[in-house]
Amino acid sequence: MKKSLILVVVLALVLGTVAAVSAAESKGLIYVITPSHANPFFGAEAEIAVARAEELGYTTKSVSHDDDANKQMELFETAIAEGAVAIILDNAGADATVSAVQKAKDAGIPTFLIDREISEEGIAAAQIVSNNYQGASMVAEYFVELMGEEGTYIELTGRDTDTNAHVRSQGFHDVIDEYEDMEMIAQDTANWDQNEAFAKMETMLQSHPDVKGVICGNDTMALGAHAALVAAGKGDVIVMGFDGSDDVIQSIRDGGIKATGLQPVATISIAAVDQADYYLTNGEFEKEEKQSIDCVLINAENACMYEKFAPIEGVTSCE
Amino acid sequence: MPEIKKRNTNWLKVQSIVMKGRAFIALIVVFVLFTIIVPNFLNSTNLVVMTKHVAIYAILAIGMTFVILTGGIDLSVGSVAGLCAMMAGGFINEGITIGANTYYPSIPMVLILTMGIGTICGIINGLIIAKFNVAAFIATLGMWYVARGFAKIRSNGLTFPNLVGREELGNTGFPQLGAGSFLGISYSIWIMLVFMLVAIFVTKKMPLGRHVYAIGGNEKAAQMSGVSIDRTKVGVYAISGFCSSVVGLIIASQLVASHPMTGDSYEMTAIAAVVLGGASLAGGIGGIGGTVIGAFVIGILSDGLVMAGVSSFWQQVAKGIVIVLAVIIDQGQRRLQERVALTQQSEGKESV
Amino acid sequence: MTMTEKAERKAAAENPPSEQEEVIFRAEKITKIYPGTVALDEVDFEIYRGKVNVLVGENGAGKSTLMKILAGVEQPTSGQLYLNGKQIENSSIIEAGKNGIGIIFQEMMIFPNLTVTENLFIGREKLNQGIVSNKVQREETVRILNQMEQPIDPDRLVGELRVGQQQIIEIARAISENKRILIMDEPTSALSNSEVTVLFQLMRELLVKGVTIVYISHKLEELMQIGDYVTVLRDGKRVAAAKIRDIDLSWIIRWMVGEKQGMFTYYQKRELGEELMRVEDITLPRIGGGYSVDHVSFTVRKGEILGLYGFVGSGRTELFECLCGCAKDATGTIFIHGKEVRSKKITGRIMDGIILVPENRQVDGLVQTMSVGGNIVLSSLRKYIKGFSLSKKEEKKAVAEKISEISIKVSDPNRLITSLSGGNQQKVVVSRALLTDPTILLLDEPTRGIDVGAKSEIFQIVNKLASQGYGIIFVSTELKEVIAIADRILVMSKGKITGEFLREEATEEALVTASAIGHELKGGAHA
Repeated sequence: MKKSLILVVVLALVLGTVAAVSAAESKGLIYVITPSHANPFFGAEAEIAVARAEELGYTTKSVSHDDDANKQMELFETAIAEGAVAIILDNAGADATVSAVQKAKDAGIPTFLIDREISEEGIAAAQIVSNNYQGASMVAEYFVELMGEEGTYIELTGRDTDTNAHVRSQGFHDVIDEYEDMEMIAQDTANWDQNEAFAKMETMLQSHPDVKGVICGNDTMALGAHAALVAAGKGDVIVMGFDGSDDVIQSIRDGGIKATGLQPVATISIAAVDQADYYLTNGEFEKEEKQSIDCVLINAENACMYEKFAPIEGVTSCE
Repeated sequence: MPEIKKRNTNWLKVQSIVMKGRAFIALIVVFVLFTIIVPNFLNSTNLVVMTKHVAIYAILAIGMTFVILTGGIDLSVGSVAGLCAMMAGGFINEGITIGANTYYPSIPMVLILTMGIGTICGIINGLIIAKFNVAAFIATLGMWYVARGFAKIRSNGLTFPNLVGREELGNTGFPQLGAGSFLGISYSIWIMLVFMLVAIFVTKKMPLGRHVYAIGGNEKAAQMSGVSIDRTKVGVYAISGFCSSVVGLIIASQLVASHPMTGDSYEMTAIAAVVLGGASLAGGIGGIGGTVIGAFVIGILSDGLVMAGVSSFWQQVAKGIVIVLAVIIDQGQRRLQERVALTQQSEGKESV
Repeated sequence: MTMTEKAERKAAAENPPSEQEEVIFRAEKITKIYPGTVALDEVDFEIYRGKVNVLVGENGAGKSTLMKILAGVEQPTSGQLYLNGKQIENSSIIEAGKNGIGIIFQEMMIFPNLTVTENLFIGREKLNQGIVSNKVQREETVRILNQMEQPIDPDRLVGELRVGQQQIIEIARAISENKRILIMDEPTSALSNSEVTVLFQLMRELLVKGVTIVYISHKLEELMQIGDYVTVLRDGKRVAAAKIRDIDLSWIIRWMVGEKQGMFTYYQKRELGEELMRVEDITLPRIGGGYSVDHVSFTVRKGEILGLYGFVGSGRTELFECLCGCAKDATGTIFIHGKEVRSKKITGRIMDGIILVPENRQVDGLVQTMSVGGNIVLSSLRKYIKGFSLSKKEEKKAVAEKISEISIKVSDPNRLITSLSGGNQQKVVVSRALLTDPTILLLDEPTRGIDVGAKSEIFQIVNKLASQGYGIIFVSTELKEVIAIADRILVMSKGKITGEFLREEATEEALVTASAIGHELKGGAHA
């Protein structure tokens, strides 16, 4: 019996810290569902959405589906059971998410998708995404420029099962493949993962010690690859990422990674919450479903002007 | 002296009953706690939703219980579920291509084929363990990799979308498995109930069940008693593989899509449910009823923490603590049982 | 208690063995209460310096508990311990070790995966700047083994040694720790006769060096041979103590058993029937060349008890393995009722009517996590299937039948098997075998590690089974047992049958002589 008591106490402690957060008056509950916050990109995305929603007078719950479509479905069902008024979602797979969003719609709960699209239209209230293709092409153009339009490079792609991985890779290649002297000597997935990118880079350096550039599908992989290059004494290899995370911006300012495509996360998250609020207040959608927001190229010239996926107010130059 | 003895024995008995019901106690504690903390926790829709979530873990854990009762472990259940989800998705969207012909199996056929694949994965596990004497941990770790690898190979890492089938191919209706209900209760919950009842029957009433317990208790003695060790082992891993395939089917059907990472890390949840339910990882001790309750504890803990708005990082901490606490209690129970046995031994002497 | 017993007890209590011998260690009014049971009830126990102090009693009499208290493994509920007249507290096994008390457990505490040297120094490694110094340890090991005149390679894995040698390693460890009082709990239960001889010689040498020995054994002849003082426990009480010189075997048995029946129920004459089993040319190759079982042939008749005698390593255990289907590489043919047995597996052999009651109950016989009833029906489950499921009623019936037939002492068959005493556990294993309706019952040391009372019951059961027409092969390392029970005795040595004796011809001498064929008995002829 004593042990069950301990169990009660522990649970009470864990939960008690949270229970205090319930608000007195609220315009309703908004669920913010994203991939694991272990990646700062998703952490920022959720944080900004939550802050905006609370500013507008909603209670919020920020949860993570850890890229497991089944868990995402469970979270949707929980949200529905709990009577949420809207769901802000960065989803766990374009195809595997459709049924969950449909379920919410059937229950009268609008879902505002951010960051990633799903494969069907007319189910979600909005799909607000950064223009991955535009961003990738933009990064690729700068990559070609720094490479001097020639030389060998390696590409690290994101998780095979993720649409954005394919879109970005496509964006890269549509630009780079135009240049005949640019030669891709290796391509592999590092599953968006920093550690895996580090290990893969180390391995590839064994067979391609004289590589000139590395282009990565996201920032965490870029950081991993760059760390491996520095460790091998090849810090001058041109590395570029995608996302615009603070870590990479810092690295750009320190002269490490050369550039990244910043996804306007702040804009997207705020837009999603605002549109949800508009819908809940006026009963109609503010904008059309598919909305695409352009990415911004971050390089040594403008790196100091951005923080937390948004421009820093009042800073207009890096001099 | 005799009176003290009596009271002592009774107290021991009470203690051991309490310990045996530890999963149930944990369930009540978790339940009451969330009812207090979370406002909408105790409404009927939420309870049904939670039970549906529990069903997936419970079905995996039921298969896992058989394996753990023999003293084995099956790490491959999540991966096999993923493989089966992908195979089912492939059958529906791409059919089976033999030479130049493509044949689209009907949905019942898809289910049977997929369950066959899961069962075969289990049989392979069992054969490797029984015939080649490979440790269960290693054999199923191998299957964990292989099945996940094949799941990705099947679609080149992509998702099979929109598994509704086509009218003209006669393979519509797959989403019904996940979305349909009978008497207002989802099929997955019914499946869990049926599996649970069948598994209880097998463990309590059939020679196979008895053999499973005997092997877990003392494999050598079971062998000397004429229990066919190899056949029983292959059997339990086949059961586990079968349960995995059903879980893969349910998930794919609920999502109307099959994703190659389906079931990632579910093996840990299943093992945790079995252990919470009172089974000993050494084998021979535990039961289906306990496992299902264990699955409920974990499921309710997951959903409740979400509803309470606990961050996913803290959710993991809470789950970890609950599981380890349960095992600590398990050790206590073991000691207690020894003491009960000791008491009985001395009583037995007297009664003679 | 009878009148004579009371008188005798009084006499024994009033005449504690000679005061002139020096008591090195005394336990006074030791009481140990476990939840719901009194294991020891105000027990006094004296240990005389430089002597073999024997402790006897049936299983559950409290011997092991008392030993554990002396060795610091358990703490008494009340009572005191005196070493050299000074009160001491053996609060832990380490504390007892510091007081010079060492224990060799009934279940050997060796590490088969480590070498002889490593075993000797486990837990107290000789360190050189924090690193284990193998050289120093090895030298020390060689010294001790030489001193014991045991030529064992210090670098061998202990798991590769014979059981007897493993026992010697345990003793060597105690010696290397400079123990003044050595407690030996059933050290001979796994040893062959020649190994016992070696052990006794070793013990005598230890005595000469001033080591005091406390000795526990079920083998009463041994006690008479090696012991100096004997203390008898019964039901947690000390009932008698004497100098071995002054008493005889029957005295010990009388005190141990109390009013229960004597040691053996002797052989019952019965008619032998037709041939049940014929075994031809059973052969089992040995790893590393030669044969463990070397072309063995014999027959068993209906109602016959065939004794099988031989030293450890003579091939008798391996022969059983060949018969029961445990040995994969065995060749040769077995006929049951004149029909050849085809199956090579245990399950198949059981169906054909051959079942083994294994020697080591705990390891090979019992499923400790299951109930008494569950253990009894384990081999015969298919008999209780009704439709798709096991019928509780049928099971219950079978269990109840066997419990009364074999007289297993258990109040409720749903109790855990571990709550039974050793003898009753053995009866459970026998019941399980009988429920498979065997033709031939292989009993491998069925009396090992159980007390005199239970032994006698097992003999009765075996006799009864033979009268019912089973063919029984009975293995024992105890000569007297084999001679007492068998209709015919086969002696094995080096994998071959080296002697066959009818009941009338069998003498201890003849058996020993036959069992030594092919061996050169070394030394150890100490009286």
